[in-house]
Formats: sequence, C-alpha cells, structure tokens
Amino acid sequence: MNNVRIAFRNLNRQKKRSFLLGGAIAFGIMIIIILNAFTAGFIVNVRENFSLYLAGHIFLTGMEETESGRVINVIRDDTVLKDTLKRLGIKVKYLVKRSIFTGTLIFEGEYVLQKIDGINLKKEEGLKDRLILKEGSFNALASDPEALIISENVVNQLQAVLGDTILVKLTTATGQQNVGEFELAAISIDPGVMGFSAGYANLEYVNELLNIGQDKCTLLSIFLKDFESIDSEADRFYSALSQKVNMFDRTSDKEGFESLRGVSMQGEWKGMKYQLLTINDLLSRADQLAGIVNIIGLVVLLILLSIVMVGITNTFRMIIYERIREIGTMRALGMQRNGVRGIFLYEALFLSLGGAAMGFIIALIIMVCASIINFGMGPLFFMLKNGHLFFKIIPAQVILHFALVAVLTLTAVFFPARKAARLDPAHALRTHY
Amino acid sequence: MKRYLMLFIITLVCFSIPAENVNFHAILKEIDNMTSFEDSDLSCIYTIVSEKPGEDKSVQQVRMFRRDREDKFAALILKPETKKGQGYLQVDENLWFYDPESRKFAHTSSKENFQDSEAKNSDFKSSSLSEDYDIERSSKGKLGRYEVYILNLMANNNEVTYPRQKLWVRKDNHLLLKAENYSLSERLMRTVYYPGYISLGKKFIPSKILIVDELKKGERSQLTIKDPSVSTLPDYVFTKSYIERVNR
Repeated sequence: MNNVRIAFRNLNRQKKRSFLLGGAIAFGIMIIIILNAFTAGFIVNVRENFSLYLAGHIFLTGMEETESGRVINVIRDDTVLKDTLKRLGIKVKYLVKRSIFTGTLIFEGEYVLQKIDGINLKKEEGLKDRLILKEGSFNALASDPEALIISENVVNQLQAVLGDTILVKLTTATGQQNVGEFELAAISIDPGVMGFSAGYANLEYVNELLNIGQDKCTLLSIFLKDFESIDSEADRFYSALSQKVNMFDRTSDKEGFESLRGVSMQGEWKGMKYQLLTINDLLSRADQLAGIVNIIGLVVLLILLSIVMVGITNTFRMIIYERIREIGTMRALGMQRNGVRGIFLYEALFLSLGGAAMGFIIALIIMVCASIINFGMGPLFFMLKNGHLFFKIIPAQVILHFALVAVLTLTAVFFPARKAARLDPAHALRTHY
Repeated sequence: MKRYLMLFIITLVCFSIPAENVNFHAILKEIDNMTSFEDSDLSCIYTIVSEKPGEDKSVQQVRMFRRDREDKFAALILKPETKKGQGYLQVDENLWFYDPESRKFAHTSSKENFQDSEAKNSDFKSSSLSEDYDIERSSKGKLGRYEVYILNLMANNNEVTYPRQKLWVRKDNHLLLKAENYSLSERLMRTVYYPGYISLGKKFIPSKILIVDELKKGERSQLTIKDPSVSTLPDYVFTKSYIERVNR
C-alpha cells in the first residue's frame, strides 16, 4: 500500500511532466474511442435505416418454375413460411409483403431506370419515419391506387411535378412487356448512398403490372423485435424452412440488394425454391468498411502509443537518475527490490490509466457535442440518426484499449524500473548528478 | 335509337367477319415458315442505326448466325470499335452475352434490347407467331399500295415478349409489312416496319426493318441486312470458345 501511495506522490510531484505524458496517452485513446464509436454507430444507423426502408431484417424471395421450365420471381403462398415463423416462436414486430421491379419511368421524352417497391403503407409505419417527403403526402398513396413516390433526384431528371402522369415500362414476372401509368403523389428526399434509391407505389397496382395476382408478392420482409438476434433467428428459420421447402444455399448469392429481386439462375429444381437473406448479409460491405476503418484506427493507435512509449521509457530513465539517491535511501532503509520496481510500475499504471480515462472523457465530450449538430437529410442521411451523428461505445472495446495502453506503458517502464531495482544502495547513495 | 343500334351491330358484324374464307392461322404459319430457316443455316450482316433525341446517331454492325432447327443463334459485334468483340450466343433456352473486357459470359434474355437499339434480341431469331398467338380479330385494309390483312393477335401464353400484336400482312404473298407491339396493358409500345425482303430460295429475310419506339418519342432503329447466306455453318460457330476467340 505504501508503494501505491509513494507512486501517487511521485506523479503528483512532477505535475507538468505527468500531465504531458498522460496527455499523449489521452490523445491516442480519444482518437481510437471516437473512431470506434463512430464506426459502430455507422453500422447501427445504416442497418436501422435500411431495415426501415426495406421493412425487415430477414427477407425471403421465391423462385417458381413454370410449366414451360421458365423460372419466375414470385411468392404465391406464404402459409408455410408464416407457420414456420410462428412455430419457432420468433418474435416478429411485423411481417410485410413487397413486390419489387426495375422499370423505366418515362415522362415527356425523359426517362430514368428506377427500382419500384410495391408496398402496403398501412403495414409499413416505419417507412413513414425514415422516408422524408419534400413535397406531397403519404395519404395520396393510400387514396390513389396509381400513386407513386420517387426521390427528388429522379423527379428532376424526369422534369415532372406533383400530379403528373408518369409512364412506367417494365417486364412482367414472366417476362412480358408491360406499361403502366403512375401519378406522381409525393417527392422524397434522396438518400443517394450505396446505390439505394427506391420509388414506392401501391402493392396491388405493382402486382397488377407484374401480372402475379393481387395477394402475391416478390419479397417477404420480417421485422424482428430484437435487432441483435437477426443472425441467430435467421439461422433457426432457415434450418426449419430447409426441412419443409426448397431453399437456396444461404452463402451462394451475395449480390447485395440485387438479391432482393431474385437470385441468379443457378442449378435446377422443381416447383418453388426460396432464398433467405438478412439485413446483415445485404450490408456485409458496410460491415467490412467499418472493420477496415477500425483496423486502421487500431494501427494508428499502436503507432501513436509506440512513439509515446519511447518517450515514457526515456522519461523514466531520466526519473531514475533524478531519484537515484532517493532509491538508495529507500533500499538502505530496507525496501526490497520488488518494492522499488513496484513503485515505478505503479506510477506507469496510474499514468496510463489516468491518461486513458482523460482521453475517454474528452472523447465523450467531443461525441456529445458532435451528436448535437443536425446535419439534415443530405447525402449522409443513411449514416445518421434522424440527421444527427450517432456514436455507439462498445464497453468491451474500451476495456480492451485501456488494457492495451496499460500493458504497453508497463512494458515501456519495466526495463527502467528493473534497472532502478537492481541499483546497489551504497552506490546509489554516493551518486551525484 | 333502335335504328342506330341496328346500324352499329351490322357494322360490327361486317367488320368482324372476313369477306373471304381465309385461314389466318395458316397465314401466320406461312409467315413463320417463310422467315424460318429449318433446312439450312443463315448468316448475314446487320447494320443497326439508332436515333435518340439529343444524341448522335449510333451505328453498329453485327454478324449474325442462325441455325433455326437447333434453336441456336450467335451474333458478333463488328462495329463500333469500342464494342468489337462483344457477342451473343443462344443454345437451347440459354442466351449469353460475352464481354471481351471481362472475358465473361453473362446470362441475358431474348426479351432484352439488343445493345442500345430498339430491337429486341428475339428480333434476330426465327418467328413463332403461329405457336405463340391466337388470332383475336381480322380485317382487310390497305397499307401504302399493298392490299393487306390486318390481324389482331393475342398471346396464348404469358411468356412471349409482347402479349398483343397487330400485324399488317400482304394479301398476295403473305409477307409481313408492319407490326404493332402492345403491352399487357394494351398500350402500343413499338411499331415495326418491314419495307423490303430478300428472297433466299423459298425463304425470305427482311432487307430492312424500321423499329419505332412509341413510348420514348423520337427513338428509332433502322436495321439493314446484307450479305445473307444459307450456306452450312460449321458447328463450332455456336460455341462459347468461338465467340471468345473470333474477335480477339
């Protein structure tokens, strides 16, 4: 206990030096904590935003082989899927049907290729929270069967205004040419990132255009109550479904959002075959990006800490020379070598933990201030939470970084401390600098 | 009022009953037969000139090979230089597009547009009107200087590109002069004109095709066919390795 008190006193005696050394550690820790919290928040935001846009965490698409051997993208009967979900007791917030196609929107000589999601707005309340309308209202989608919501970017390309009739050219589920008419009911703010910009229309009308029948769909979206259980629940669901229906290999198709419009035609089968995807599968690229940023951050932290450690080693070498007579006195009074080494190591430990704690507090202040700023609904919208930056601190990561700093600091100080412990007391007492 | 109603019914009946006893399904079959090369192969060069408003005309040249009896078809892009080496290959139900940049074959559909033109990939294949369509209505008329039958067709399956078509067929030789292609929602999507044919024995191939996009106003493609030949093609023409190496 005495050693701890002496270590504290020593740090206190040289406030300026301790502050500078601790400050260097604090800076490194602050950077890595902000970076990690930002990437963790980025993943959460992107996942939440996309989940709400796509109305789910787990997605099922169906491929049906027609009599002529042609394969079409449709889910005609979802009874087995719903029953399995119920039997497994998977906690579902809501389950919605969507029909998706990519068609050409045509308006007075201008045309744009656009993905259109047929939705039932009454069942997709989450979408209303995420889809920010610039003009028009969601009510139009409920009242007008041919209503269409598209982003301002697309509207600008078409040079259309609210109320205009926009033609859509598409192919039906079986590949026939079809043309429909939409009425521009609302204009949304373009999220414009990761190639995701959907238009929304009524499910029934989209089904009519795709010629798949009124109560059918091309995508079944399951929104779970527990966001964290996506992978485990998806695995359970997949295993149970595999025993009842034909399922595509979960790892065979990683084509991002394209997968939601059906899988590529690989292999042969009879009747229906389903593909299960999760939001994590779709956003694996975002995860990879965050992982890369985290690794870069860790490497930067290690470089920064290495430099700081060299400084700490040199500083402690100087400290030993400064305190050589004091060490001699303590040793002469009966302090053992371990005690001398312990004092220096405790000093290093307090320095590292104090610096790390300071860095953590500064990082917290910066993150709180940054999250107050409203960035609006610009192109960064998908990375933000309602227009604000969102930082997610992962305690395990913070503890790991604290431990890393402590270990590195102790390692840096170990050799000067051992040298101090090995000093001959008589020699130390007669040394003058 | 009754008089007008009677007049309307009589008019309707007159238009719906052809004056002559013509087997229109047989005419469709004849169109298919005349333009299908079941007993020989076919090769020719298509020049496709596409026009889009606000853009320069684009010209493409394509060498086409057909073996209708085996439902095979291959196409090699000769011009422009930027697309040279690209190709299409159909064997049975599979249609691939070859991109020399990536050196990969990708699945495509006969219902897709050919390159950036108004033509569909299926426009280069043999016709199967009599198989895929039923005649809904027929009438007589005149197209330019030609006496024609006007046939309204409705697809008998849901897998053909155009669910409805309206054809103008010459009365004298049953060659197709004009076709209107309609969507499932019965909207006119494109009009195709066949102003001339090249005779290859008993078979015919259009010497010129004009395709007008009725949705995207001002967009049209003109296809000119030259150097048609019915000589037997080597089997390797309809293989992936040939498409890969031919324009290397």
